[in-house]
Amino acid sequence: MTVIFLITHIVLDAAALAWGYRSAGFPSVSLGSLAFGALWLIAAWRKLRWAASIALFATVVAAGLGVLVGVPPGWMLAATLFALIAWDLTRFRERLTLAYFEDDLAGLERRHLLRLSVLAMTALLLSSIPMVITLKISFEWILLLALVSAIGIAQIVRWIKLSK
Amino acid sequence: MSYYQYPFPSCPDSVSRTFLLTCSIYLLLFASLVFLNADLLGLVLPILVFLLYGWWSAPKDGGLYVRRRFSSERLTVGEPVEVSVSIINNGSHLNEALIEDLIPVGLSLISGSPRHVISLVTGEEFIFRYRLRGNRGACAMGSLKVTTTDPLGLFPRSYLLGTAGNLIVFPRVLPLGRIAIRPRRTRLYAGSIPARVGGTGLEFFGVRDFQPGDPPRVINWRASVRRSSGLPEGNLAANTRNVNLKLISNQYLQERVADVGIVLDGRELSNWMAGESLFEKSVMASASLADAFLKLGNRVGLLVYGQYLDWTPPAYGKLQRERILQSLARARLGSSSVFAGLDGISTRMFPAESQIVLVSPLVNEDWSILVRLRSHAYQVLVLSPDPLAFEYSHLRRSAELDVALRMARLERKLLIRKLERAGIHVIEWDVSKPFEQVVQSQLMRYRPVGSQGYIP
Repeated sequence: MTVIFLITHIVLDAAALAWGYRSAGFPSVSLGSLAFGALWLIAAWRKLRWAASIALFATVVAAGLGVLVGVPPGWMLAATLFALIAWDLTRFRERLTLAYFEDDLAGLERRHLLRLSVLAMTALLLSSIPMVITLKISFEWILLLALVSAIGIAQIVRWIKLSK
Repeated sequence: MSYYQYPFPSCPDSVSRTFLLTCSIYLLLFASLVFLNADLLGLVLPILVFLLYGWWSAPKDGGLYVRRRFSSERLTVGEPVEVSVSIINNGSHLNEALIEDLIPVGLSLISGSPRHVISLVTGEEFIFRYRLRGNRGACAMGSLKVTTTDPLGLFPRSYLLGTAGNLIVFPRVLPLGRIAIRPRRTRLYAGSIPARVGGTGLEFFGVRDFQPGDPPRVINWRASVRRSSGLPEGNLAANTRNVNLKLISNQYLQERVADVGIVLDGRELSNWMAGESLFEKSVMASASLADAFLKLGNRVGLLVYGQYLDWTPPAYGKLQRERILQSLARARLGSSSVFAGLDGISTRMFPAESQIVLVSPLVNEDWSILVRLRSHAYQVLVLSPDPLAFEYSHLRRSAELDVALRMARLERKLLIRKLERAGIHVIEWDVSKPFEQVVQSQLMRYRPVGSQGYIP
């Protein structure tokens, strides 16, 4: 069941990116998105552990660029969400391979997929709000966001140093 | 049973997963600020929701307890043991936990699995079982690795949950019958080894004058007649008035217990050949011999001679059997410049004129040490697993190898002949044959060897 969900979400991710770029008038990027989806499927079939993380990051970058060049943000949001789910399912599938055949694998799968579905719906709902309601951000808010970003970058640098 | 718990460093994968999500969030935030595009903030939200959910549902520390039971804590080589592990969650609800019972080196899995992925609610107990088989040795199964994580695998945490669990795998002990040895000196207690003292026993020792109290069955009538005078020829009842009957009694060899010192050669240079070791065979032989000697009531000691000297002082009975088997279970091959030769065997370890049994494949340099022991009036028996036949069976056949084998065989025969001339009984054991068969054919009856080995 996990594998079917995984394949479905990889396909949906690539399709959302391709459709969005195609509708914005970038057919070559659209084809590239489909190729990207095919590569991710191959990586999932070959059980390449690192591929899912790279694919997620690539999707986020592609979605961000898409929004900047005028691709409808709904498709980009959907692509990001599908990529997140596929990324999580890759880890979950890997974890299930460590289980013994007598373990309650069906129960684990069922609970995980249910939880993931609820989470995806919540994320989709929350993300749709800013698309529907347009707020005017003041200069103070921009300053606050800049401060948060600076703290975040400092935190990332610290993590990199610690990991070394 | 005691429980203990201590933290284990988080696995690096968790950092990379949260790191990836955080990087993505900050990248989008940064881009939205630079390009002043609010739609990019919308892309941040699903990632943020995932990250926050993972953080919120991350498992709390503690509350997980483990208990491990064995079907038997004492095994012999090849015997399976069932391990039952019970995990109780007294803490918060665990969505996903990977349980791994760490199996020490020397034990191998037969059936079941020591690794499980489970979900445990508060107060729930999970029990799993698996079967192991062990090589000879003592194994401490101390730790069980538990990796708990949130449903998204973003904040995993690993612990080692320990519970006391020791397994000891003894070498195989083959049932041997009576082993005939004749050390010069025996102990006081009655046993099965003929002493050089007349008394009650089975084997004839000599004759002496009849003494009041001797049972009639010990009277040697033939000798009595020869020593008597005035016996009439023909009808004995005719005239017995002048008869001077002098009764002679038989004496038998007293059977007593003896001191037996078993020396197990654990030197790498003598045991390791063609990438294989004869040591396990030697250990099994030592265990079987020790068991047989102890069953006959003898006082037995063990010296494992390898990287260091592991000495089990001589004693009697089942407790000593246990000590010797534990020592043999721990015995390992070793190399040491100090104990490269057998000259580290001290005569102070073994009672004077007792029996020494050396279990060793033998090297040429051992000859002088064994003769020295013999000169100290020890009765020396060498049980030698044949290293040439063993090595030959592990090498690829060739004409050169056959020639080399013949030369080595001659050299070994010469060594054994020299030892036998010194009165040392050497038993060669081709390890492809059953040990008990070799022992029964060569050790069931006493066989005097050489001039010094002969007991008149």
